[in-house]
Amino acid sequence: MPVISRIVLIGLFILSSARSSMATEISLSVAASLRESVTELSDLFQKRTPGVTFKKNFGASGALARQIEAGAPADLFFAANNEWVDYLIKKKLADEKSAGVFAYNQLVVAGKPGLKISSMQDLLKLNRIAIGSPKSVPAGEYAMTAFQKSGIDKQLEKKLIMARDVRECLLYADRGEVDAAFVYKTDALLFSKQTRILYIVPEQLHERVTYPMVLTVAGSKKAEAVAFIRFLASPEAKAVLTRHGFEVR
Amino acid sequence: MMFAPADMQAILLSAKVGSVATLVALPLGFCAAWLLAFGRFRGKLLLELLFNLPLTLPPVVVGYLLLLLLGVQGPLGKLLEPLGIRIIFTWKAAVIASVVVGFPLLVRSIRLAMEGIDPQLVQAARSLGAGPLDVILTVVLPLSRRGLMAGSSLFFARSLGEFGATIIIAGNIPGVTQTLPLAIYDYASSPRGEGTALLLCIVSVVLALVVLLLHETILQRKRGT
Repeated sequence: MPVISRIVLIGLFILSSARSSMATEISLSVAASLRESVTELSDLFQKRTPGVTFKKNFGASGALARQIEAGAPADLFFAANNEWVDYLIKKKLADEKSAGVFAYNQLVVAGKPGLKISSMQDLLKLNRIAIGSPKSVPAGEYAMTAFQKSGIDKQLEKKLIMARDVRECLLYADRGEVDAAFVYKTDALLFSKQTRILYIVPEQLHERVTYPMVLTVAGSKKAEAVAFIRFLASPEAKAVLTRHGFEVR
Repeated sequence: MMFAPADMQAILLSAKVGSVATLVALPLGFCAAWLLAFGRFRGKLLLELLFNLPLTLPPVVVGYLLLLLLGVQGPLGKLLEPLGIRIIFTWKAAVIASVVVGFPLLVRSIRLAMEGIDPQLVQAARSLGAGPLDVILTVVLPLSRRGLMAGSSLFFARSLGEFGATIIIAGNIPGVTQTLPLAIYDYASSPRGEGTALLLCIVSVVLALVVLLLHETILQRKRGT
């Protein structure tokens, strides 16, 4: 074996053993729309719990669930809907007992500040409306349910622009490519520059927007991960979530 | 398991987008390759870099820049709007994404073929009185035929796989702009879509293999002659 690779191997060995003796790493798989809030909360937890570090992986809930299914290291999974948590529980990859609600969000219509939307029927006046692809984006699924319950799904069919995710919907609204976009309140608050929240979709028109969290089977055996999920239910953590625009009960 | 009508539409739309994109890109690619192979002018290197840029840029960047350019507030979009032409969120947007992203591959193939042409043939044509356009049409074009075909097949294959730029400027609208890769993405990110996703993956692999096989065959024949 060449000297270089030997040195590299020894270096890697020292690094890895040093890390494991010094700190415990908690791996988080986090739905993209929770990036800012989870980052703030994990920083807070890390500051007061010496020896704990976080590794965060952000993405679409579905992609994250499939990564966990394929064996990616993850102790805690934050999803944008219950479906993917149930999926992992059914595959015996997540600890059902630990499953709980991390936060709630609201589905809103964001668009040009001048537009007036005071009911779902008002949407019919618009030309183009962006929603996430209902098959793969939970926000799009909620929007479709709301259209169906309001009886306007057939009339809207040709006006819907389906996007990859909520942030792409917002991009379209911000650039004026669409008149309005169905997004989460927290995303609209954080990311839109040219758009305002025009209308909050009544909650009886769709299932409540819920972000569940669950420990994976590996995570449930890690004391630090269990402590972190407990911390997330504390009033202090809930205050952080409220500040980000989420609902906590 | 059978395809839903929307899945069939996705396959057909991919074929349509790929074909139209190839037809649009071919004359442009020919001119670009000719400029790079025979042209002597200032800024040639710059042009060369520009043509090759989409090969190395992330397709998401290409998609985002095209959105800025062609959107209702974009410089080109503003010009087209009064003419009643709207590109964003239509299948034409998918064509444009494919053209931009696949262009370097096409130009490269044609240019290689052109550079393989014996310069004496071109000089002979010129000395026999053929004008520049005449030389292009009767000498350069026929002699770079194989490069055109090889480039087109590679370009077509690339456009079948185009995802990153397309999903930004065309959206992911089933039956309208949802091409095969976009449909696969949709199914793969849905808890109940695994089966269909795999089935469409197989379709995608078979299509790509057929086109690449065609490409290789064209190259082999070129080496044979």
